[in-house]
Amino acid sequence: MAESVKVEEVADAMFRIIKEGQGLKKYKATDLQKEMIEKFGADRCNKDLCKKAIRILIESERCVYTYFGGSFIEIPHREAAAND
Amino acid sequence: MSEEVKTPKLDDLEKGPWPSFVSEIKTAAKTNKMAKDLLGQLEQSYEDKIGHWKHGGIVGVLGYGGGVIGRYSDLPDKFPNVSHFHTVRVNQPAGWYYTSDILRKLCDIWERHGSGLTNMHGSTGDMVLLGTTTDQLESTFQELTAIGFDLGGSGSAVRTPSCCCGQSRCEWACYDTMKLTYDITQHYQDELHRPAFPYKWKFKMSGCPNDCVASIARADISIIGTWRDDIQLVQDEVRNYSKAGLDINRDVVNNCPGKCMDWDGNNLAIENEYCVKCMHCINAMPKALSPGKDRGAAILIGSKAPIMQGAQLSSVLIPFVKLDDEESYKDLYEVFDAIIDLWCEEGKSRERIGEFIRRVGLANFVEAIGLEPTPEMVGAPRDNPYIFYQIEK
Amino acid sequence: MSETVKKRITDIGPPHYEKFLPPVIKANYGKWKYHEILQPGVMVHVSETNAKLFTVRAASPRLLSIDKIRKFADIADKFSDGFLRFTSRNNVEFLMTDETKIPPLIEDLRSIGHPVGGIGPAISNIVHTQGWVHCHSAATDASGVVKAIMDELIDDFTSMSLPGKLRIAFACCLNMCGAVHCSDIALLGVHRKLPEINHDMLPKTCEIPTLSASCPTAAIRPVTIDGKQTVEVLEEKCMFCANCFTVCPSMKLNNSEFDGLSIWVGGKVSNARTEPRFSKLAIPYLPNNPPRWPEAVEAVKNIVDVWKKNARNFERMGEWIDRIGWPKFFKLTDIPFQKEHIDDFKHAGLTYKTSTHLTQS
Repeated sequence: MAESVKVEEVADAMFRIIKEGQGLKKYKATDLQKEMIEKFGADRCNKDLCKKAIRILIESERCVYTYFGGSFIEIPHREAAAND
Repeated sequence: MSEEVKTPKLDDLEKGPWPSFVSEIKTAAKTNKMAKDLLGQLEQSYEDKIGHWKHGGIVGVLGYGGGVIGRYSDLPDKFPNVSHFHTVRVNQPAGWYYTSDILRKLCDIWERHGSGLTNMHGSTGDMVLLGTTTDQLESTFQELTAIGFDLGGSGSAVRTPSCCCGQSRCEWACYDTMKLTYDITQHYQDELHRPAFPYKWKFKMSGCPNDCVASIARADISIIGTWRDDIQLVQDEVRNYSKAGLDINRDVVNNCPGKCMDWDGNNLAIENEYCVKCMHCINAMPKALSPGKDRGAAILIGSKAPIMQGAQLSSVLIPFVKLDDEESYKDLYEVFDAIIDLWCEEGKSRERIGEFIRRVGLANFVEAIGLEPTPEMVGAPRDNPYIFYQIEK
Repeated sequence: MSETVKKRITDIGPPHYEKFLPPVIKANYGKWKYHEILQPGVMVHVSETNAKLFTVRAASPRLLSIDKIRKFADIADKFSDGFLRFTSRNNVEFLMTDETKIPPLIEDLRSIGHPVGGIGPAISNIVHTQGWVHCHSAATDASGVVKAIMDELIDDFTSMSLPGKLRIAFACCLNMCGAVHCSDIALLGVHRKLPEINHDMLPKTCEIPTLSASCPTAAIRPVTIDGKQTVEVLEEKCMFCANCFTVCPSMKLNNSEFDGLSIWVGGKVSNARTEPRFSKLAIPYLPNNPPRWPEAVEAVKNIVDVWKKNARNFERMGEWIDRIGWPKFFKLTDIPFQKEHIDDFKHAGLTYKTSTHLTQS
């Protein structure tokens, strides 16, 4: 197996596609995982690595989990339903 | 609270013999302004015949993707104290057992940080803390963990597993439901708090086929206790039920779905080979009959409520497993993990496992997770001849 | 602040249940031999060691204030050494070893308005959802209708005179938190009007492909209105499930005039005698009529009364209907059979009658 990608690198790559997709497409954890494995190749990136990368994004508060009928990972924002 | 809220419609629901939820809200409203505005908004709903809540989807505690359900009033100017009114799901102890001491501690936390209102319990099984503001979430969470509680699940994740009281009180429990529920909950902590699935995933554990937690109707994985050997039978006690007035032929024998019982007025005979473990005779005569000694569980898969392709009941995946120790739990988790992996890979967004199986076909599904097809998996073999034959090369 | 962050505990799961079990349970875990119902709401479990555990089950509205929970805690201290539990149907149970404390415990529970019952051939508590108390998608309230129905059926909770068990469940919309769809009687909140689309908010709050995909009948199509990307709903395809609202708040289904509830009968989850099955439609629509929903209460009461009068021992609602047939059910209950009763979704054909097993009377 080729040397795996660094987890921070996966997190950064995830963050970029989430940011680019903002307002157009919302990503679920499984979507991000599929994108990353396609980007880096199955020999360098796997499910566990993606899981760790998501955890880094969430715990650093660069991303948040959101829910609308299903759970997504998004850039933090003020939600539409919130009152002032 | 100086000025009193006028709630003529709700007041009517304080009358009558059944305990009143309105009285509960009013009690909390005496000292809690959120509860007071909840009362006001609910009266407004009774006036308008419509709900006044908006669904939030972003609030939570750091690191978790579930356990908090966002709620906002759509009348924030009129009811400012429920402008933000989020629900906190707290993972209940298995079997919903408490001591007075721990309940008081939970109440104290909720007095400091929320509305003072709860559901004991929510449909999935969690203790539900009903309503607080975003800024109180983290402190509520930290105080809960300090006394040993954690949040429950929500979103596309493992939902809080729940079970009947099992062997703690019930002689019919065919495996230790509370132990397995605790173990599953611990095993899937990450999947419970960090949603990574196509949709929700529920585990429900019932100790016998009476299924007191309705696992067959609402769990993605239903683990229902059953047995393989003969029903345990005490003839003298059967005779006592008969003497006490139970019509054993009419009420017991004729209700047997396996038609495997015979009562001659003195002896009850059971052809155990044909017993389908329905529980009826045991329910009717608990002192005389009980499940056999070779106990375990059937694993069923796929039940759900209607959204979106229609409601489903769970169907048999594994007809019988022994669940006597942690080793047997590990074997189960291997099966579950194979199913979850496949579903995460191939399932569509918002597709429950039951709908996924209907889409790909049970035979294909069973093959993909490495199980052999067995006649127990179906009510009957197919009756249509449109077969996708696959001739092996 | 930094100190609290350092101490932050996560992923501990629930506390271990053993901490909350009374000593009699710890000593007899897995050793219970049989149980008997001593009187409505009271049972005794007897173990192989002859130890006895007495359970007293009391009604609860599920929505409880912390004041009430503290009262339950005080009662538990007084009568059951501080041990209590809640049931899968939201009742509260006190677990004790001293039989002599049962009558005063029941008296104390009565004095704070919580009747004892719900065991054996009786109605148990109605499991229900949040309704207008706390849900955004509720087509009706839950707690209020449940309270009104239980006020009416209270005698069937505090006695044991029904033919079999009676399980009623209530869900305030088709999302059905809880398993209402397999109940003897299920009440289900329904919408009947097309979603009101907020074309201004929709592009900002919702993803259109996800929204279109959420519709089980493919009734939602992307369109452009005044240069804005939004959606339209094909009227003839919408069956008001509100799945679109679940993924997009700009598709409002709640309607004060046309929302209401439907009644379904004959489902069960237990495997006893007959297999588990879904509840079937009895009444397609009843109006929201707060605070006491008299139409819904009357309808439930009528169905229960007819079942009570006609069912044999142990016969659950669905088993009784199996025996007498649906035409007789509609005749005996005097419920009109109408177009909505005939399924027209997937697998509808499976519910058509394909035999001449007809009572003809």
